Amino acid sequence: MESRPLTHRGAMNNPLMRPPNYQALSHPTTQQQQQQPSVRYQSSANGVQGKDEEEEEDPILDSPISYNTMESAPPSNQSYVSFAGGSVATNILDSEEQEFPGIGQYDDFHTIDWQRDVARDRMRHRHIIKKREDSIWDWIKSGHDAWSGWVCVFMVGVFAGAVAGTIDIGASWMSDLRFGICPEAFWFNQEQCCWSSNETFYDRDNCSNWKSWPQVFGHEPEGAGAYIISYIFYILWSLLFASLAASLVMMFAPYACGSGIPEIKTILSGFIIRGYLGKWTLLIKSLGMVLAVSAGLSLGKEGPLVHVACCIGNILSYMFPKYGRNEAKKREILSAAAAVGVSVAFGAPIGGVLFSLEEASYYFPLKTLWRSFFAALVAAFVLRSINPFGNEHLVLFYVEYSKPWIFIELLPFILLGVIGGIIGTLFIKLNIKWCRYRKTSLLGQYPRLEVVAVTLLTAFVAYPNPYTRINTSNLIYLLFSQCGVANNDSLCDYQRNFTSANTAIEIAAAGPGVLKAVWLLALALVFKCVVTVFTFGLKVPCGLFIPSLAMGAIIGRLVGIGMEQLAYHNQDWAVFAGECSTGENCITPGLYAMVGAAAVLGGVTRMTVSLVVIMFELTGGVRYIVPLMAAVMASKWIGDAFGKEGIYDAHIILNGYPFLDSKEEFSHTTLAHDVMKPGKSESFYVLTQDSMSLEDVEQLLRETDHNGFPVVVSRQSQYLVGFVARRDLNIAINQAKKNTEGIVGDSTVLFTASVPSPWMGPPPLRLRKILDLAPITITDQTPMETVVDMFRKLGLRQTLVTHNGRLLGIITKKDVLRHIKFLESEDPESVLFN
Amino acid sequence: MATSRMARSLLYISIFLSFCAVYVKAEYEDKRCICVCPDPSVVNGTKSNRMVYKDAVAPSKCDCDNVVLPKVAPDIRGREREFCPRCECKYESRNSTTIKVVVILVIWIISLLVVYMAFLLCLDPLLNKRRSQPSYQEHTNEEEEAGSVVGGAPGMAHPLPLRPNVLNRVGHQQDKWKRQVQEQRRNIYDRHTMLN
Repeated sequence: MESRPLTHRGAMNNPLMRPPNYQALSHPTTQQQQQQPSVRYQSSANGVQGKDEEEEEDPILDSPISYNTMESAPPSNQSYVSFAGGSVATNILDSEEQEFPGIGQYDDFHTIDWQRDVARDRMRHRHIIKKREDSIWDWIKSGHDAWSGWVCVFMVGVFAGAVAGTIDIGASWMSDLRFGICPEAFWFNQEQCCWSSNETFYDRDNCSNWKSWPQVFGHEPEGAGAYIISYIFYILWSLLFASLAASLVMMFAPYACGSGIPEIKTILSGFIIRGYLGKWTLLIKSLGMVLAVSAGLSLGKEGPLVHVACCIGNILSYMFPKYGRNEAKKREILSAAAAVGVSVAFGAPIGGVLFSLEEASYYFPLKTLWRSFFAALVAAFVLRSINPFGNEHLVLFYVEYSKPWIFIELLPFILLGVIGGIIGTLFIKLNIKWCRYRKTSLLGQYPRLEVVAVTLLTAFVAYPNPYTRINTSNLIYLLFSQCGVANNDSLCDYQRNFTSANTAIEIAAAGPGVLKAVWLLALALVFKCVVTVFTFGLKVPCGLFIPSLAMGAIIGRLVGIGMEQLAYHNQDWAVFAGECSTGENCITPGLYAMVGAAAVLGGVTRMTVSLVVIMFELTGGVRYIVPLMAAVMASKWIGDAFGKEGIYDAHIILNGYPFLDSKEEFSHTTLAHDVMKPGKSESFYVLTQDSMSLEDVEQLLRETDHNGFPVVVSRQSQYLVGFVARRDLNIAINQAKKNTEGIVGDSTVLFTASVPSPWMGPPPLRLRKILDLAPITITDQTPMETVVDMFRKLGLRQTLVTHNGRLLGIITKKDVLRHIKFLESEDPESVLFN
Repeated sequence: MATSRMARSLLYISIFLSFCAVYVKAEYEDKRCICVCPDPSVVNGTKSNRMVYKDAVAPSKCDCDNVVLPKVAPDIRGREREFCPRCECKYESRNSTTIKVVVILVIWIISLLVVYMAFLLCLDPLLNKRRSQPSYQEHTNEEEEAGSVVGGAPGMAHPLPLRPNVLNRVGHQQDKWKRQVQEQRRNIYDRHTMLN
């Protein structure tokens, strides 16, 4: 969440950067060997800026002899500069050491090293700046590099807006397909079908152009027979859509299932899940969302839209090598994409940016904030010009309130917050329990059957109740809106006198219709609460925002109607006296619905600022910020009191994703020594800088599965030189074998800058380019509190532990996560990690 | 390659559809003013259902006077001042061409995917019976093509050097994609390590 200091090398207390101490530490028996490294340490102590000059200084140490065989290596045609390599093309060493394309990528289910990636990008940037003066083409290239971030987020905005518009139109058409069809233009939904019909009778937008299924089969539109036919068609279509969604997901892109936000959070925190943001996932998730929403399942498309936007961001970032090849930089684009997702889902650009900041992102510098802002703006504009709902707004349930609220209403708002917090916590607990059961029991073996069963149950129970039969978004719109003249629902059946003159709608006693609606809504609430617990986690794309909003809106509307009637029957009470005594309608049940919706969503996701902003962008009025804030705050307090984490964090824990939460504090007193690997009676694998043969290294790679190895001066001294990643080592060895003549098993693997002058034996394999010369180190007495903080704020992948200046061990992110799990007495093996 | 093939066919379809859309003139009215009013009998004292009046007029003329009164004038006989405040008028617009293109596109893609799914389920196993079961290879970067796939991963795939034949390349890409999906399936449906 906070920006990390990028010049960490100056800031960190890296023992390697203090050359004066070094002399005192040197071992008497290895004095000879260390003479040379000590000079090099001094040069790297110049800090970051010294990095690329370092190799230019080195030729002083360099032996005059160069290996002609090495020069036969084909020039690499990579367009970026690998990390540890010098960025100066004219460097003498460049002609001897080859560069290795593919360095700096990561394997599936690995965690990224932010520091290393940021350093790599800095190198690349410096290279481009330096070359800018050379030719006009290089100047253009540097210009393109400078604006590529903005271009990329612009394109993400355009594509995400277009995809969201497609999904909205497709879903609204397909969900109406369950009720009937428009024979003269089958691509219209019910409202579009009756767009310009001349009939004036008002019956839920029905017109003769639109044919319900009984009518299609020549049956009367009313009556018991028609009801049964409609019921059967409703269930059949729902089953068809749901099973299609589940099959497509299973067949083409299993990663497209679920909400995606827990995984996006994990990916943004620096984890690699290959294929999770790919093309197929994008296609199947978009279509699956349309199908799943149309199947009438209790789920929404808002959460998955965040995943879809991130897929678009990932795919587009490959067009810009600056982002596509650098995982840390790519996460800047993905953060902006997450903002775009919420922006198009709720038509709330600012809310989207805040969502990315508060909930999704891990590393969110100001630069990313501005790009997210821009991308959210572009996406909202594109979606607005598609105008998917025909109401000139970006969401179906946009409402506009104008009534002021009175002070006493703050009490019911806070009450709604409390209810929201309780419902949210209960929902999280039950859903996690059910998901855990699904994970461990036989139920998990039949994902498609489960989807079909839940759909069947949902459709069967939902149809009889008019409030659950309609689309959930429509239900939310109905509950949010005020009872005006245009509203014909029984929810607005007040005993109002329509004959009196042109006054505003006044407060009135509830008619029988309202009473009936209250009962139906209460039943709908119970149904939604129960069925959503079982729905969230099905193997189809499913989001949580819409069902939570619906639950909260029902509760809010019920409380609102109660308040309204209370005010009507007790107009003489002091608290209502000022506003309600004149007969004006002083209580707006629709506003209560909105506050309730925010409260439940706040209880489920534990968002605060972003949620309030999203809600007030939905209503288009700043007047209701205080009620919303009160409710969301109350909901968060109650929720946090009963359960620590929101639904997304709970799912991260359930799945064991390696997510180092920056919200929680580490309050144990353990030391780095306790966590460090190797522990007692384990062996520690290191490479030496100039005494191992290729055969030894390959044997080490075969026998161990560590993801990286520290490089030391020699086995006896254990003084640290640097760190090399396993993947990079593999790539470098394979390419050297392929491209360089004379590399045999006996060749010495050299991590030194220079080759000792009379060289005997086969030509050495020089791998200094892949060596990270500035690994973060700590001492074994460092408290874990500090270590965890370093992992969080610097985004480390591993840190090396020293004792008296000698390498002692290593702590990886996996060790830290397992340690935290262990201290919280959870199963440390549950961390998903390679 | 299956992806790009799919993408290409989708591209053609969408181009085709957009041409259709351009040549088929918009047959449907895309702008309307919709007014919801009580039944005209309201002014006579009896309460009744709401009525809907739709008309295609300019946004500035979207009100009761221009849309509703001409239709109900005989019923309310000079009591317009009482009737009109009870009406709610909204100006709406849509793009029926976009809707048509999008819905048809969605139907097309879903049917294509269903056909492809049927092919993968029924025909493909028969065609590929001879080919040996390829072992899983870890997901690599989308960008990295088969040529630069890094060794060291378990089951370094395809030792047999395929000729640079288009068909082979397509088949190879498809195999690679299939292995990836298979691994995803194993993660989610069998081992339950993700997305529970």
